[in-house]
Amino acid sequence: MTSYRLPTGGLVDRTAPLSFTFDGKALSGLAGDSLASALLANGVRLVGRSFKYHRPRGILTAGASEPNALVTVGTGGRSEPNSRATMQELYAGLVATSQNRWPSLDLDIGALNGLLWPFLGAGFYYKTFMWPGALWEKLYEPFIRKAAGLGRATYESDPDQYEKQWAHCDLLVVGAGPAGLSAALAAGRAGARVIVADEQAHAGGALLSETATIGGASAPCFAAAMVAELQSLPNVQLLTRATVFGWYDDMVFGAVERVQKHVAAPQAHRPMERLWRIVARRALLATGAEERPLVFGGNDTPGVMMAGAARTYLNRYGIAAGRKAAIFTTNDSGYALARDLEAAGVELAAIVDSRRQRPSDYRGKARLISGAIVTDARGGKSLSSIRVSHDGRTEDISVDLLAMSGGFNPVINLACHRGGRPVWSDAQGAFLAPESLAGLALAGAANAVTGIAACLADGAEAGARLAAELGFAAAPDSTPSVEDDIIAAPTAPLWSVPGSKVKAFVDFQNDVHVKDLGLAVREGYGHVELAKRYTTMGMATDQGKLSNVNAIGLLAQVRGVSPGEVGTTTFRPFYTPVSFAALAGAHHGRHFQPVRKSPMHDWAKARGATFVETGLWYRPAWFPQPGETHWRTSVDREVRNVRANVGLCDMSTLGKIEICGSDAAAFLDRVYCNPFLKLPVGKARYGLMLREDGMVYDDGTTSRIAEDRFFMTTTTAYAAGVMNHLEFCSQALWPELDMRLASATDQWAQLAVAGPKARAVLSQIVDDDISDAAFPFLAAGEVSLCGSALRGRLFRISFSGELAYELAVPAGFGPAIADAIMAAGEAHGICAYGAEALAVLRIEKGHVTHNEINGTVVPSDLGLGRMVSAKKPDFIGRAMLAREGLQAPGRAQLVGVVPLDKADAFRSGAHILAAGAETTLENDQGYITSSCFSPHVGSSIGLALVRNGAARHGEEIVIWNGLRGEITRGRLCAPVFVDPEGGRLHG
Amino acid sequence: MAEMTTNRIPLTAPPTQAALADRAPVVREGVTLEALPEGTILHLLARPTQVAAPFADKVAAAGLDLRVVAPGQWFATAPTVMSGADLVVLSQALKPEVDVVDQSHGRVGIVLHGPLAARVLAKGTAVDLDPSAFPVGRSATTLVGHIAAHLTRVNAERFEIVVQRGFAGSLFDDLSQMSLEFARL
Amino acid sequence: MASLITCPHCGARPKEEFTVKSAALPRPSADAGEAVWFDHVYLRDNPRGAYEEYWHHTSGCRRWLVVSRNTATHEVADARDASEARP
Repeated sequence: MTSYRLPTGGLVDRTAPLSFTFDGKALSGLAGDSLASALLANGVRLVGRSFKYHRPRGILTAGASEPNALVTVGTGGRSEPNSRATMQELYAGLVATSQNRWPSLDLDIGALNGLLWPFLGAGFYYKTFMWPGALWEKLYEPFIRKAAGLGRATYESDPDQYEKQWAHCDLLVVGAGPAGLSAALAAGRAGARVIVADEQAHAGGALLSETATIGGASAPCFAAAMVAELQSLPNVQLLTRATVFGWYDDMVFGAVERVQKHVAAPQAHRPMERLWRIVARRALLATGAEERPLVFGGNDTPGVMMAGAARTYLNRYGIAAGRKAAIFTTNDSGYALARDLEAAGVELAAIVDSRRQRPSDYRGKARLISGAIVTDARGGKSLSSIRVSHDGRTEDISVDLLAMSGGFNPVINLACHRGGRPVWSDAQGAFLAPESLAGLALAGAANAVTGIAACLADGAEAGARLAAELGFAAAPDSTPSVEDDIIAAPTAPLWSVPGSKVKAFVDFQNDVHVKDLGLAVREGYGHVELAKRYTTMGMATDQGKLSNVNAIGLLAQVRGVSPGEVGTTTFRPFYTPVSFAALAGAHHGRHFQPVRKSPMHDWAKARGATFVETGLWYRPAWFPQPGETHWRTSVDREVRNVRANVGLCDMSTLGKIEICGSDAAAFLDRVYCNPFLKLPVGKARYGLMLREDGMVYDDGTTSRIAEDRFFMTTTTAYAAGVMNHLEFCSQALWPELDMRLASATDQWAQLAVAGPKARAVLSQIVDDDISDAAFPFLAAGEVSLCGSALRGRLFRISFSGELAYELAVPAGFGPAIADAIMAAGEAHGICAYGAEALAVLRIEKGHVTHNEINGTVVPSDLGLGRMVSAKKPDFIGRAMLAREGLQAPGRAQLVGVVPLDKADAFRSGAHILAAGAETTLENDQGYITSSCFSPHVGSSIGLALVRNGAARHGEEIVIWNGLRGEITRGRLCAPVFVDPEGGRLHG
Repeated sequence: MAEMTTNRIPLTAPPTQAALADRAPVVREGVTLEALPEGTILHLLARPTQVAAPFADKVAAAGLDLRVVAPGQWFATAPTVMSGADLVVLSQALKPEVDVVDQSHGRVGIVLHGPLAARVLAKGTAVDLDPSAFPVGRSATTLVGHIAAHLTRVNAERFEIVVQRGFAGSLFDDLSQMSLEFARL
Repeated sequence: MASLITCPHCGARPKEEFTVKSAALPRPSADAGEAVWFDHVYLRDNPRGAYEEYWHHTSGCRRWLVVSRNTATHEVADARDASEARP
């Protein structure tokens, strides 16, 4: 295969060949090539197979809208399916693989679908897979799944880094073509902070494909000079390889920068892609225009290409996309290609112009057929001839390249991302951006301006205007003179070409052809949104960038209305596909979410703790000792030791809130359902918080440190929620109260010392007198520690039911004070215990946690009804708690549960049924909220919420776990298994 | 409570353990990430309507820098540890306008400095760090990645971040990741 | 949903820094009666257009705000400190 690369021309580096492979075949391109241009240079025309009919497809465009040339790039964890060959820069060693073909691209069995096409028309799935329903799982779904999709995602993990970044600017310019560059310069020179983003590797846009002369320089040189000036301005940031994919509320734009997608050996420390969130005060879309394909028979044959694309391959990459070309155009832009092809010495067989009027300034040698259309393109896997129809005659012309231009669609997608609808313009024969977009303007071809000079001027004017709106004095420069500027004035759209017998494609990616749209209208799906779903037009990776306007035009034609009346489907982000990796950024693996560590974490780790995740925290679950191989052995030992001797447990994860101010007590009185106004200084109190609907919200102890200062603890799980709630109450409900809040959760290492020997141990640490007389149950206060080495806060509170204290010291002292406690406790048999033992101890004692506080219980359901103040005029939840139903008999109430046979065990979540009742959900009477093995009782025990439970102690019941098929006979009992009189607390 | 200072179990060395003791400075090309040694961070709580800080001189006299946290809230910081006695004196001096909550152990300082410091931080925070929008002396409480933190520009190329102790390790590691592209090879 | 909320204390911040609670409605008095309380706790209008909500600048200044936003256009007309903007 000889090269299609021309001997000269283009912006490629002819001294830098790059080798790559396509379907395993070794090929060579040049630095500066896209994968598409490199394939074309090697004469590769057949690049992929279409989605539905598996038709041979080639390269249609040279940019972001490419529907056909989708390939898998890379291997292993880096393989990326559905990459557009037109957007992938070539690098040494690139491995590209075609998709949607079996066994090979050239011989594809799936192409038989093309023969079945009468049965595969629009709505095929809806009509065919209706019934019988039983076939869905076995036949239809597997069939559809197998047929669905183009490329295949890899199962290997992506080895690369990704990240996100915020940016802020006065003006965001999207697109660095002539309009974008001149706008950025106008605003940048005026001093505005400007970000210019362009999806290509090099700024310049259309100028990179132009042969015009601007201000005496070639178009690419002129672009380079503009870029150089932009880069010299410190207030301007130019992002290349960056696609702005979405316009979001409040002038936030999303962009994805392909940092290393173009390099042969990505550097491990740099991101592969970077997701930008750009906050802009103003934005300018200089996104250019998309050339419209023409709809004729066989228009998907490899070798049929957009005219602008053929010009880009010629001028930017130095490639003739064919040896013998024809041009089919409805407007003057085709003549720019004709001029350039002839200048490059490529044989141009004919220009087929749908207009009768010949352009007056055409000076080329090629045969010009006016008032003519191409009805068919032939050749299968590679174009061999076209059939031209003019003046009632048809004529076949042998060509291998047909360049088509059906006019231009301004690229207005971003302008419509926030709900604005495109507006049809008869004058332009195109959809334009909605008017009065707050903060966003359009310039250049996106603004339906044609010609380089006009785009430069329009951009400069827009840049200056937007900068001036923000107070930057800017004046647009005078525009340079442009020679050979081709101004393609808008022409009447040619939605489709009559007279073809074969499929004429409207949507290439989804294999939607003209007849599908007619069928949709006939069957009642003529509304543009319905037609989209019915035919799949405008779906998949290209989202109809190329095809939608033609589809709308055809729907309009069939329905006999204007395209404006048909309207467009909704434009949404993303403009082009964005990888999940970029959206996730660095937040995966160990950066997926923060880890919250107690100040005792390393201390516990050094003692061999097994950790358990609770929310973001990692808490010690138990501390296995030598010889303990089962977690239960460790937990049982820890529990027994606390009941018999003493144990130390890290409670630092509890929420801790400092509440200050002269109204702090009044505030607490309103947020707790039990009284706090008269809590004496030096005392702790268990408090119950309700929600406004009367249900229990959270519990904890709060201590009065001073007349105007309290120290609240919350559960670990609700620490953040309670803080938010208290702030809401203080700021939104009662701002008149003189009180303030600060989260002190992380300031304190809080250690529970629990067990009959707790005082004996702690009195070696605490300098103050902590005898029962001096520091009784629920005492709280500041203490001196370790011979005045340190001050801490001591609370005589108990979660285990034993004599217990919680000692809080500034976090950094936690490990040292824990060491001191362990040393002091050695003679008393102290052990460290973890969250599992803590849970067993509290279940044995019947203390509730959020297992029981499940959002449906009121205090009386938990046996805490007497706590609720009857005297306080108001507190959160008071009014709704008074509802009759919340105090009615028959509510689920907290009970204890034991198995009849001590050898039996049961699990949390199991249903409680009346003895003898059938195991059905209708017979459900409640459920086990917490369960564990109790060393004290010598069997499994549980807490449960059971209908009328408080009155049913002693009743035999059945514990039913339907998921696991477990049925256990049990008995309800009082929800306190240890020391019901509470004598141990006061020891 | 009676003082009994005999036969106490002593604190073993080291008496305090810094939250980021195990994190070595991360030195990149153009930016360095370091944990600050334990110093003093006091949370000053005034009425939310208190915009100015008329007590600033008292705080300054105690050797502390004042940083805005929220309406009526400031951090008073110093690189050195304040004694308990001094803390009591300052707390009393600031009454009744201000309540002081000691957060010296509850918050951890991390510093990011170098010409690329702002660029690294922009990967985490949506606060506009351009000097025109975030000048020297400005503070903000904001999300840095997934973690809420308090940010202060102490000079053109130096940012101090104050974060809850439990999150400090994760934030340090996240910042290290954010600066990775500037790794010295 | 807005991308940025302009906190009256902190300036424009991304919505990720905020937590939205519910419609900003005045809390009834303790003796307002069950019907009033029932409406307050359970019943909400779902207007197309202007809507006032409590938003908490959770990862910022931790102030509660009353944010007035348009449910149809997503425009935020106003964000005030809740202590000054009691409904």
